[in-house]
Amino acid sequence: MIQKKICLLGATGVGKTSLVKQYVEGIFSEKYLTSIGVKIDKKQVETENQTVQLMIWDIEGIDRYCGFQAKYLRGASAFIIVTDHTRSQSLVEGLDILKMVKEVADIPGVLAVNKVDLPASWHWSETELAEIKQGFVQFFNTSAKTGDGVEPMFTHIAKVLTA
Amino acid sequence: MDASLLAALGFLDCIVFQRLSPNEFEVLYKAGNWLDELLPETVGSKIFSFEHNSAYLEDFLIDAENLWLVNKNGRIDSGMWSEQLSNQVIRLEASAVVADKKNYLIVNKLNAKYKQKQETLQIARESLLTADKISAQHDYLHSRLEELLSETERAFPANQPVTQALAQTDLGVAIFDTDLLLLNSNPALRSIFDDTNIKTNLPADKLLLELFRNQYPECERIFSTASSWIGEIFWLNPPLQGKWLKLSIQPIKNDAQEVQNWLFSASDVTQVKYLLKRNEKLTHFDALTNLPNRQYFWQNLEKKIQQNRPFYLLYLDIKQFKRINEIHGHLIGDEVIRELSIRLNNLVNADDMIAKIGGTEFAVILELKHSHAQISSMDQDYAVTFAEKLIGTSCLPFYLSSGLKCEVGLNVGVAAFPKDSSSAEDLMKYADLAVYAAKKKSISSISFYSKELVDASRKRIEMEDALRNALQNQEFELYLQPILNLSNGQIIKAEALIRWHHPDGHMVSPDEFIPLSEQTGLIIPIGKWVIKEACAILKRLTSQGEPIKLSINLSPRQVGDRQLFEFISDTLIESQVNPQQLEIELTEGVLIDNYDRVHFLLAEVRKLGISISIDDFGTGYSSLAYLQKLPIDQLKIDRSFVNEINENSQDSDGAIILAVIAMAHNLKLEVIAEGVETELQRDFLKQHNCNIAQGYLFSRPLPYDEFCELLAAQKAKK
Ligand SMILES: Nc1nc2c(ncn2[C@@H]2O[C@H](COP(=O)(O)OP(=O)(O)O)[C@@H](O)[C@H]2O)c(=O)[nH]1
Ligand SMILES: [Mg+2]
Repeated sequence: MIQKKICLLGATGVGKTSLVKQYVEGIFSEKYLTSIGVKIDKKQVETENQTVQLMIWDIEGIDRYCGFQAKYLRGASAFIIVTDHTRSQSLVEGLDILKMVKEVADIPGVLAVNKVDLPASWHWSETELAEIKQGFVQFFNTSAKTGDGVEPMFTHIAKVLTA
Repeated sequence: MDASLLAALGFLDCIVFQRLSPNEFEVLYKAGNWLDELLPETVGSKIFSFEHNSAYLEDFLIDAENLWLVNKNGRIDSGMWSEQLSNQVIRLEASAVVADKKNYLIVNKLNAKYKQKQETLQIARESLLTADKISAQHDYLHSRLEELLSETERAFPANQPVTQALAQTDLGVAIFDTDLLLLNSNPALRSIFDDTNIKTNLPADKLLLELFRNQYPECERIFSTASSWIGEIFWLNPPLQGKWLKLSIQPIKNDAQEVQNWLFSASDVTQVKYLLKRNEKLTHFDALTNLPNRQYFWQNLEKKIQQNRPFYLLYLDIKQFKRINEIHGHLIGDEVIRELSIRLNNLVNADDMIAKIGGTEFAVILELKHSHAQISSMDQDYAVTFAEKLIGTSCLPFYLSSGLKCEVGLNVGVAAFPKDSSSAEDLMKYADLAVYAAKKKSISSISFYSKELVDASRKRIEMEDALRNALQNQEFELYLQPILNLSNGQIIKAEALIRWHHPDGHMVSPDEFIPLSEQTGLIIPIGKWVIKEACAILKRLTSQGEPIKLSINLSPRQVGDRQLFEFISDTLIESQVNPQQLEIELTEGVLIDNYDRVHFLLAEVRKLGISISIDDFGTGYSSLAYLQKLPIDQLKIDRSFVNEINENSQDSDGAIILAVIAMAHNLKLEVIAEGVETELQRDFLKQHNCNIAQGYLFSRPLPYDEFCELLAAQKAKK
């Protein structure tokens, strides 16, 4: 069985840890506990061609307390940049991170716009978002709380990586 | 290894492996029971090889292997990670060590340390997120209002959309006229100051103004120069704890760039401050840099004044910082500020004080080593030397963790106690005024507060007023400077250059008024006038059978104007001018400052058929790679390089020109030489395939009629 490493990146508090928890264990917690360092979870996905073991690296939020660490991307096959549509700045930071990733790795990236169970309170226009989505191979509206879009996102990545 | 020794050393929950060969490890020591579950391959035999049970650890082995191969004493750490075991989550950190030619791998279980780190970061991050949300909301609402205010033609207060927006927003808003009299405010503002326990004597808007005035001596300068400002003010409302407000102030200007209104908006950020306060000593220290903050600095400044010994107050402002944030983002911006603060702090004496007093501003109290009230020229030299050191260290490049290299600069404004003033407010105000003067120079510089500075700022205001009237009174004129094809001496186009006939009779040089109009924003209406006038000239020339091309200059601020493109295309249509007759000139600096914006603008403008040239080429930093990506048609070699070609010049003097010509040809761009004054220069250019030029050798910039005569003469010769 093949293994593929996927990195979850994004600002603090956007829901990276929650997305993995929802995807792997099917649970969600409202309580926010900030992550330190890295945690790796595994999950098998059946695609049309084969079974893949996704190694999902949940990486500490990138902010002024924890910078971007290029070494975490070593050996990764894809990355997800998670943003939170209740916080405008999380997209700005997501784009900063995208720039930094592109400098060190040439792998497909997916944009997750998370917390879609809550009303959006960012002020990005549709045209701006459309432009931003250009930098990614695919984009998903997700909710770690309800599970919306979570499984489809990871399945899509597995498909892309085994195609 | 002696287990009891390790235990005594505090290595309680750890494992030590020795690396025997790249694929063989020996368990030297283990404590706790988690190893068996984490790495089953270690169960049963002392010697083992890794079997992919911990992806993180094995990824770290790649780095570790590099260290072990070199086999010099040293150590690297993996950073923390978590592992889910059957009934617990463990937090680990690994280290690879080389000691006495032996290779070790140590894995520490650090659950307690993790928890501790998590607790501190938890609060810090929660407050960051809350602050971020409030501030994003604030900025958004503020800019929406600003837009509404400047959009509508109708004068305030009859302005419906604004009144509606005000009623609905949570942002406290006050709108003032130019005399700072209230035009309108909203319920949200009143509720900020609405405390049943306290009777405030002033209405909310007056209170807001007063708090700002009392806490920020920069206030006058902000109003008199129509600057915008963002910061925090504190409202002391005993017996309660006081409120922290985020305040944004924005002048709203009309099309002629005159201030119409002042927009004040405030939101309550006390909660954020409270969170920060819980998180250690942050009330007195800036969270990003750990330097004392504005409030703390202020207290110290007052203490210093009481001691009544002379000192200098230095106000430092990071130059070109906006550019870093724009190009690289806020994370990098933060990193630069942190790094810079360390450098600055290293230069400050133990007795002196440095603080971070604003987003990109620092202040230093520099004590003098004597106690006479007089300040001597030696003291001044001392302050200059010190400021130069600060500038020197700021200008060194920053190498950031991501491998990026950035550069900034520093402006320093200086005021002296007690020479300039003996009040804290005034000193801050004067130092701010001085730094504002320093900012106007293009390189990092130092400026001392002085009477001349105040006079200069008054003179500036006078000139600004005159400039404002100049448009209305039609005191501007476009002169045209011919641009020739050197191979046949024919005029192929002209550059439009603005001239100002001052009412007192003299002609003001563009070098004097363009920078000022750029600073004040007057460049926007003036630039529009130039575009309109150039189109009118083109139309006249065409109707006279001279379908010549005209080039106009765009300034940085104009490029930043969102309506520029629309204006250009509308004007072309209105005046029925063929866009191919218009050319736009931009300097390299404009390109670098607003790369994304400019790129977009140029592409759009070029779609219309307008051509684009890069002015003053060679004086900036554009790289070839960079130029390749931009949609441009030609480069104009800066006059300074052409100047170097003369009887005394060496081969090396022409080198830059030759390089530019070669580069332009490579990129399939046209090259134009500016400032050609001698036949020697002309021949040099011709000889090296630069066939287009302008300069006094051919003609000065001419008023329209004279330019037409020149064209007619050329026709007659043919
Ligand atoms: N309503 C809602 N809350 C979410 C969602 N995802 C995460 N959260 C909450 O956001 C906070 C931060 O989530 P976390 O996964 O720790 O973010 P991380 O820092 O990116 O790992 C937690 O309080 C979560 O409960 C979501 O999709 N919807
Ligand atoms: Mg997390």
